Amino acid sequence: MENYPFSENSINSSIAFRSLVNATSYPGTTFQINKLNKPSVLSNAAATILITLCDNESNVYLSKEYNIEEVRNWLIFNTGAIISNKKNADFVIGTWKSLLPLNEFKIGVPEYPERSATLIIEETKYKKVKCNIDGPGIKNKLNIDLPNPEFFIENNNLYPLGLDFYFTNDLEILSIPRSTKINIIKSEH
Amino acid sequence: MNEMSKNENLDIQIYNFAYLDENTKRMIRRALLKALCIPGYQVPFSSREMPMPYGWGTGGIQVTSACLIPKDILKVIDQGADDTTNAVSIRKFFQKTANVAVTEKTSDASLIQTRHRIPETKLKEKQILVYQVPIPEPLRFLEPRETETRKMHALSEYGLMYVKLYEDIAKHGHIETAYAYPVKTNGNYVTDPSPIPKFDNPKMNNSPAIQLFGAGREQRIYAIPPYTNVKSLDFEDYPFEAMKANFKCSICGSSDSYLDEIIVSDDGKRSYICSDTDYCKEQTKLNSKKED
Repeated sequence: MENYPFSENSINSSIAFRSLVNATSYPGTTFQINKLNKPSVLSNAAATILITLCDNESNVYLSKEYNIEEVRNWLIFNTGAIISNKKNADFVIGTWKSLLPLNEFKIGVPEYPERSATLIIEETKYKKVKCNIDGPGIKNKLNIDLPNPEFFIENNNLYPLGLDFYFTNDLEILSIPRSTKINIIKSEH
Repeated sequence: MNEMSKNENLDIQIYNFAYLDENTKRMIRRALLKALCIPGYQVPFSSREMPMPYGWGTGGIQVTSACLIPKDILKVIDQGADDTTNAVSIRKFFQKTANVAVTEKTSDASLIQTRHRIPETKLKEKQILVYQVPIPEPLRFLEPRETETRKMHALSEYGLMYVKLYEDIAKHGHIETAYAYPVKTNGNYVTDPSPIPKFDNPKMNNSPAIQLFGAGREQRIYAIPPYTNVKSLDFEDYPFEAMKANFKCSICGSSDSYLDEIIVSDDGKRSYICSDTDYCKEQTKLNSKKED
């Protein structure tokens, strides 16, 4: 059983999913994910999202850092997911820089806004801009750092269409769904 | 090896944890997360046949199954009561298939599945409230065609619903709708709150808990994330009013909880009791402490 992503599939996936529910429900707040067996380039959190949600109906776009044999084999063997281009992707994984520009990913259509991509942003080394966020799931406005906030502002302007983001870092996950409103905090300089 | 087969306390039948298979759960889980990202929007899902008839919570039970974790403490209510048929059988179902702990206390529960009520006790952060929904489309009785209602939601074209409420006022002098009273979620989608009494509508607004809705026969899942604006539709000159029977509970004496009317004698004498059995018990306990 050692090589499977989860040691006890149905139990581990339920616990993983609950973390995703919490993260999606309370945007901007960090939630913990457990470890699993995964390719070394993927974070535990990103691998957990893919394993918990993807199946043979899921189109996954891997950015160039992740589009390597180890990741492809692991994903296809364990989930049956389809490696896809940007345009058709349901799930997208990559570093911020490698995924830009974001306008090729699907944002849903007015009758079916859920037919949109979920972006998993791996890495934390992007240029950080201090932002203030508000919206569903946020009790009091939160301050967080985002890369290129203008993208997220534009994304929120598309609401109820738009992209949904998860930021992953080792065992941590944080969500910025399309419903989150973003304000850039102007520095005093 | 299946997780459940290790547990000797369980029935001979072997189930995947919380009944549904992993592929079905994945499909439901994807729908649930998108539903949380688009508050109030009904996400289609391929609902499964469940071991109970439609109308008994097949949607709610699928959502609960996809969300349940072994550590959960589950509470199930039907019209506020923990001890009615529907609540008892769903609670037993998950005890058998997921081996989770159960409770009747709202404050102890981590996941509550409900039919037609929101508990009186204030919900907390990270508690999940799963609603059983018969007709998820609030516009369905006004427009039977799915293609049309879908377009109406896409265009935020809700004039028809306001006309319906206006006609109520013109005919009866007030808005007649007393349950399943339509709300607007996050200023965008008009949403069916499931057939809860309109007394419960204000509890949906800005709730710290996660509200998930499952409609099995109609194959829709939707959600209201925590701290989300939920506004009951109304008019400036006819503002929304949450109402209940103007009596006290004949068991605990509470005058601020939602009451059920019961007939207590052959000559039709009426009495009123709390619909939320857990709340009623708590109030009775508090009263007896005061008397001591």
